[in-house]
Amino acid sequence: MGDSQYSFSLTTFSPSGKLVQIEYALTAVGAGQTSLGIKASNGVVIATEKKLPSILVDENSVHKIQLITPNIGVAYSGMGPDSRVLVRKSRKQAQQYKRLYHEPIPLSQLVRETAAVMQEFTQSGGVRPFGVSLLVAGFDDNGPQLYQVDPSGSYFSWKASAIGKNVSNAKTFLEKRYTDDMELEDAIHTAILTLKEGFEGQISGKNIEIGIVDASRKFRVLTPAEVDDYLAEVE
Amino acid sequence: MTKTTIDLPPKGGFSFDLCRRNAFLESQGTKMPKFRKTGTTIVGLIFKDGVILGADTRATEGEIVCDKNCEKIHYLAPNISCCGAGTAADTENVTDMVSSQLELHRYATGRDSRVVTALTMLKSHLFGYQGAVSAALVLGGVDVTGPHLHAVYPHGSTDTLPFATMGSGSLAAMAMFESRFKEGMTREEGIEVVCAAICAGIFNDLGSGSNVDLCVITKGGKEYLRNYQQPNPRSYTHSKGYHFTSGHTAILSSKIRALRNQVRVVEGDAMEEE
Repeated sequence: MGDSQYSFSLTTFSPSGKLVQIEYALTAVGAGQTSLGIKASNGVVIATEKKLPSILVDENSVHKIQLITPNIGVAYSGMGPDSRVLVRKSRKQAQQYKRLYHEPIPLSQLVRETAAVMQEFTQSGGVRPFGVSLLVAGFDDNGPQLYQVDPSGSYFSWKASAIGKNVSNAKTFLEKRYTDDMELEDAIHTAILTLKEGFEGQISGKNIEIGIVDASRKFRVLTPAEVDDYLAEVE
Repeated sequence: MTKTTIDLPPKGGFSFDLCRRNAFLESQGTKMPKFRKTGTTIVGLIFKDGVILGADTRATEGEIVCDKNCEKIHYLAPNISCCGAGTAADTENVTDMVSSQLELHRYATGRDSRVVTALTMLKSHLFGYQGAVSAALVLGGVDVTGPHLHAVYPHGSTDTLPFATMGSGSLAAMAMFESRFKEGMTREEGIEVVCAAICAGIFNDLGSGSNVDLCVITKGGKEYLRNYQQPNPRSYTHSKGYHFTSGHTAILSSKIRALRNQVRVVEGDAMEEE
């Protein structure tokens, strides 16, 4: 990775034992638009704010929640272009696994490989850490799962989590509302309410994006019309 | 800084380095290993609502039938399938690889795959290997632009046709198609013609045999009809089984040997538990 002139890592330790580049990367994530995910008993929901820089932007062209395999989807907070690189690499890794084992990649393994890529960029020459945290949701043989991957390369499995702006309020809200036997429909309503808490302006199907995966193991992003229906239910 | 030459890794395509060695060995009398081929009759035709693909199910290794019921219709995309003739490993791996590439392409474009995309990926790969990848394919599917059927040859050339046959049984099958094909057939008529063509291959070509597999692809979806016809059932087993009374095989000599007991039982104390 990197030219021979930059074979040293730009991420180096500070005297206090911290990797400041990673701290700064986490700050970049913290400045990004809020994303959250909730694992229900029969599925997972991930949601993200989709605030566009201007009303002139064509919102149909922006897809913040992406598919990695038919049963795994991902949302991010932080720098969009960095997330695109990770999504691309993850998709390729999933295909390589499928070519070798002729079965879909388990979510935990995909997350592990993506996290390994993110860690690589904290210890290679001439590159900087990714400025995104990812929320990866999927349904495989181990049931519904939700993982968060940070710029450092550490990953955690969550029952419910939030990343980006306003994360402490969102997490407090989720802690209060989360129950272990929640069903997917309740989880979607809770996710919308959590997003609404910190939302500036009028929330609608055009400025949030919601992705769900249920027992059918098909991850899909809800259409703006469907999101508006859920918003109406929540009112 | 000292100047060093960089050894670039090969970009892809076949490395012909060992071919000279193989040719030399063969000239010295070494027997080349036999590989599993799908002797094969594979066909495809376009009917009113889409595409029907058909294949036989015999796989051969030289003169031996190594698989009496193999699957020659491969999955490429939810709306595209591919029949493969030639070396079994080559057809399976090349279709697997293109299927994988098509999935990545679907994620990148956000659209359903088109048959011409699969066609271009297959022909570029096969051309790059200059015919060393021995895969002759009949590719068919239905996409937004309509039904498509193509024949792909091992060297990378392709034909776009309303009906196509490949494999050692292709002549027998093509004879059936040329006499019975008409434009705009219904599903039932199309299936009948495809079955007739595959059966012609099964019965008249030694490299093809066993059963008929079909795949019907329309705008509404794909239907894989595995073993749609089984014109070669195993009908020679005796219902009562076979018994051979003694005397059928001549006994040349007999020797009786007692088996000695190798196990010695020793009484001891039970292990002390902590």
